[in-house]
Amino acid sequence: MISEVEKKLLGIMMILIMFGMGSGLTWRDFFRAMKKPQGVGVGMLCQFGLMPMIAYGLGLLFNLSTPAALGLLIMGCVPGGTTSNIFTYFSKGDLALSIIMTVASTLLAIVATPALLYFYGSKIMQGELQIPFGDVSLTLFVLLVPVILGMLVRKWNANVGAVAEFFGGILGVVVILFLIVTWIPRNAGLLSTTPNEIFIASLFLGLSGFILGFGISKILKQTNKRAMTICLETGIQNGPLGIAIVLFSFPKELQDAILIVPVLYSLFIVLSSAGVTYFFRKWMTRLEMQKLKTDLL
Amino acid sequence: MLNVETLQNAPNLAWLAKKTCENFHNLPAVTMVLANGMNGTLSYKELDEKSDHLAIYLREKLKIPAGSSVAIQMPNCLSYPIAALAILKAGLVVVNVNPLYTVPEMIHQLNDSEAVALITVDIFKDKAAVMLDKTKVQKLLVVQLPEFLPYFPKKIAQLVIQYWNKQVPKVSVPYISLKESLRQGAQLKKEKNLNVSEFEKGLNHQSIAVLQYTGGTTGVSKGAVLTHGNLISNMNQLLVMLKDQLNTKEETILTALPLYHIFAFTVNFWCFFVIGARNLLCPNPRPISNLQRALENYPVTAISGVNTLYNALNLEDWFKETPPAKLKLAVAGGMSLHLSVAQTFKKITNIDIIEGYGLTETSPAICFNPFAKPKEGSIGLPLPQTEMKLVNDSGQEVNNGEPGELLIKGPQVMQGYWKKPQETAQSIKNGWFATGDIATRDSDGYYKIVDRKKDMILVSGFNVYPNEVEEVLSEHPQVLECAVIGIPDGASGEAVKAYIVLKGDTEPSKEDLRSHCKSKLVAYKTPQHFEFRKELPKSPVGKILRKELRKEIPGGA
Repeated sequence: MISEVEKKLLGIMMILIMFGMGSGLTWRDFFRAMKKPQGVGVGMLCQFGLMPMIAYGLGLLFNLSTPAALGLLIMGCVPGGTTSNIFTYFSKGDLALSIIMTVASTLLAIVATPALLYFYGSKIMQGELQIPFGDVSLTLFVLLVPVILGMLVRKWNANVGAVAEFFGGILGVVVILFLIVTWIPRNAGLLSTTPNEIFIASLFLGLSGFILGFGISKILKQTNKRAMTICLETGIQNGPLGIAIVLFSFPKELQDAILIVPVLYSLFIVLSSAGVTYFFRKWMTRLEMQKLKTDLL
Repeated sequence: MLNVETLQNAPNLAWLAKKTCENFHNLPAVTMVLANGMNGTLSYKELDEKSDHLAIYLREKLKIPAGSSVAIQMPNCLSYPIAALAILKAGLVVVNVNPLYTVPEMIHQLNDSEAVALITVDIFKDKAAVMLDKTKVQKLLVVQLPEFLPYFPKKIAQLVIQYWNKQVPKVSVPYISLKESLRQGAQLKKEKNLNVSEFEKGLNHQSIAVLQYTGGTTGVSKGAVLTHGNLISNMNQLLVMLKDQLNTKEETILTALPLYHIFAFTVNFWCFFVIGARNLLCPNPRPISNLQRALENYPVTAISGVNTLYNALNLEDWFKETPPAKLKLAVAGGMSLHLSVAQTFKKITNIDIIEGYGLTETSPAICFNPFAKPKEGSIGLPLPQTEMKLVNDSGQEVNNGEPGELLIKGPQVMQGYWKKPQETAQSIKNGWFATGDIATRDSDGYYKIVDRKKDMILVSGFNVYPNEVEEVLSEHPQVLECAVIGIPDGASGEAVKAYIVLKGDTEPSKEDLRSHCKSKLVAYKTPQHFEFRKELPKSPVGKILRKELRKEIPGGA
């Protein structure tokens, strides 16, 4: 697991990365994303309609223990995470749409997450569920403030914006690589004691989110770029928020057993998102080049 | 509007450049915009100073004699206008070299033009290295593509070009950096108290300004000899036509077409330069999303493009959803503009694309649609001082509505092909330049290109002009691009064959395409054969090369 210092450091990194991402955006990008609000609608449908259902289904399918199933369900019901924006950026998706969806799902989560947990979880869970408002507002802060600042900087001077975007991008790669490389050593203990089905369920939650998110977006006639963005947004959940919910809502003796899934999910999702992003980026580059087949006009 | 007298009285381009820069001084002249929005600007004053320094360097340090040729091989970047203006100010001749040329093509052009120096970008160093021994080029001036951008953006852009895209070849070749030559030029100017206007003293309208190479329809490329007078006249003709649309010091033009091509050189660079506009230079319009930030970050009022460019823009979501708000002028040339492309563009931007017509040999503009009264599918009316006539094979003028070869006479017509008296005599007779294009004229005097002389297909004695068939095919929703040629066919002499590039991956049935054509074309014009391709052979300007397709057919031309 991650120590408090590492967590703070990572938070600062995220703020810097999001500042860089924001520096690559213009108001028109948001304007365009809002001009076709179906995109956000489809995203929310996948986020709160699809993911909880997948999480509940996987729990049943793998016949998980109650705490593990609960952990999985919590991960299914939390909103989208900020990392989805970074991966969307690298896959040449619609970054503005991704940010709007993350903000929308985080706000909606204040009502939707407890309601969904109550709906799916009433059979496996007793007791009160607490939504840590501190963490929700922290997510919104880390996301919105640096992005808006970045956009202002860009508006003021496109060159400074582009330089910030460049360094934000590099930092993004560094953080993702750090998370991947330190993955096994950080979690050796956890890895050796966890049953296989929990591994598979944690991995599949993200993967099914990707596949079904993309599929539903295409069925609902979203462009490739938007479908890609919704796909990443659906699969990538706000892991730290899920962990915070567990810490807030459950007695200490129960916490560890529930936490396994959010922790494992958070690790797997970085790997699988990196793979999906690599594929999407190649695909987008090819599509872009196809539109204008001559080299130089 | 520009003080037209300045333009009319300009004895040469060097003088005109000087006057223009003095006139607009601190206004932005050129801005290079990269795909991520990074940008760098030179004001008229900076452009003037830098080109002065380079001109002095070329004449005083390299001792290049007046009237020699100097080649430029660059994509659109801030160094291009510096180099072009410097060469002209130095009383030398500009030779524009296409950066995508292969080494043999480059060697042919440099030898033919007798260029003694080459100004290029580091990404083409490898070509320059091979060329050095095989041509008369003695001096090589090299610059980095993002030169003259602010410090950090320049370093980052160069880092990406060099290490991420790996575009800079690792060859060592003796060269002088453009930056260094500017420094030395500035120093010389100070030490010897030099004035560039000395260099342009002998230059007049008859002096050669540019050797502009053109593939033409046959054989190796030929250099069209364009004089200072040719280019000044053509600018004047275009600006008179556009005088009600353009305002001095207020325009921003997007230059996505390469400046080494005569279209962008005259229309984008010179015409907008002399009216104090800001020129947005985009080094590479591929992928077309590279133009997004330029269109968003600047109040673009004018665009020039070819059919391929407008077609690509029409397909972009960002362009469709947030079209440029200040746009008021879109001009097309270089190849015929398809009706469907113009209509989609109009739907998006509410702007009519004004189609014109021209050739390398005519500096280039001959004919343009009047802004107030454009006609779809037409190339418009002759520019001021331009005479046009249509003749049949025996040289007789044809009636309105009948196709004939287009001949033109005007101050923009080149002096001839460089060192090719025979070809010159064949194409310019009694002052009339034969374009090789077949056109018709309607009762309002508007011209329409129906085809090139050689591309016509003869089906059972009926004439089929490929453009017409292509026009119809490209209206099909699944067709991105197409080319139509004639192939030998026993029964009808020739049969129409269509090569098609699709928008998506799903193939429409040939029956579907055929019935689409049949609904708009008489039976003999409808293609008998269809072939789906991933891409079509094209010239560097994006013109589809039908002759390349014909070559693949046994017994074809």
